[in-house]
Amino acid sequence: MELGNNQQQQQQQHIHVLVVDDSVIDRKLLERLLRDSSCKAATFLDSGDKALKYLGLLDDELDNASSTSSESLQQNGMKVNMIMTDYCMPGMSGYDLLKRIKGSSWKDVPVVIMSSENEPSRISMCLEGGAEEFLLKPLQASDLKKLQPCFLKCFDNSGEEDTSRNPAKEKQQNQNVNEELWKT
Amino acid sequence: MDKIHSHRQVAAIKHSLFDQGYLDEQFIQLEELQDDANPNFVEEIVTLYYRDSSRLISNLDHTLERNPLDFNKLDTLMHQFKGSSSSIGAKRVKAECTLFREYCRARNGEGCRRSFQQMKKEYATLRKKLETYFQLARQAGPLETAYRPK
Repeated sequence: MELGNNQQQQQQQHIHVLVVDDSVIDRKLLERLLRDSSCKAATFLDSGDKALKYLGLLDDELDNASSTSSESLQQNGMKVNMIMTDYCMPGMSGYDLLKRIKGSSWKDVPVVIMSSENEPSRISMCLEGGAEEFLLKPLQASDLKKLQPCFLKCFDNSGEEDTSRNPAKEKQQNQNVNEELWKT
Repeated sequence: MDKIHSHRQVAAIKHSLFDQGYLDEQFIQLEELQDDANPNFVEEIVTLYYRDSSRLISNLDHTLERNPLDFNKLDTLMHQFKGSSSSIGAKRVKAECTLFREYCRARNGEGCRRSFQQMKKEYATLRKKLETYFQLARQAGPLETAYRPK
């Protein structure tokens, strides 16, 4: 598979995805699907609470002196380039998790929501809440291809983010330019 | 010659599984994910499904014994079961899960129980057929070409 350039290849190898899903079958499926994608490293958790803890966002860790606050985690080089979460989970929903993430220092990390229910109101609510993409289960290889613009976004430098840009238009542009990356 | 016969047998079983609606397109998606790096992917994920299903079925059994019925809990459990069934392409089982959830929403306990019995039957049948399928597939050795149902 021909990749654009060396630097891009190196960067792709460093994408780390956090997957949050209470279904062991879906975690296994996603693990296999991610193996074929640009993402070479993934962490799998089975609840929103565990995800918050992992990201250093749990409320009961307000003691900043000893805590693993999200800022200190990020400063220590812990990377999460993308988060993929199921919508319907016992306890905290994927939407709640999305809102928590968007209200935190991890807010620039693209969040993808997955759901077995094809409900337009749910989909728009998630997209309006800041989700990068909404994937319908059961997941297939073609769904991961839809995430290609998200993976590319992971390369966006930590510099200024233009919040007024048009994600849908960008996706189309990125798809046109980078079709090759997906050809094997 | 034997090998060709075995492969035909395996193909025939798979054909009937799709024809009779036990499996859908998602199962083919799983097979396409099987490769040299993951040579037993389909059987592994299906085995995981059996384990997870046993837990859910047992849970559902207990929850259905309660009086009065906790329809919200039943719906939640069945939602999980439906999800995993869908992820492996278990078409008939998934349909029964959907029916069960409709009975939950209608607060119809009798309907739930009936549907649950039917769902267990479908699950048991699918499991038996898949076990035979995987056993024969293993005996036949690696398949060179993928089979696609019409």
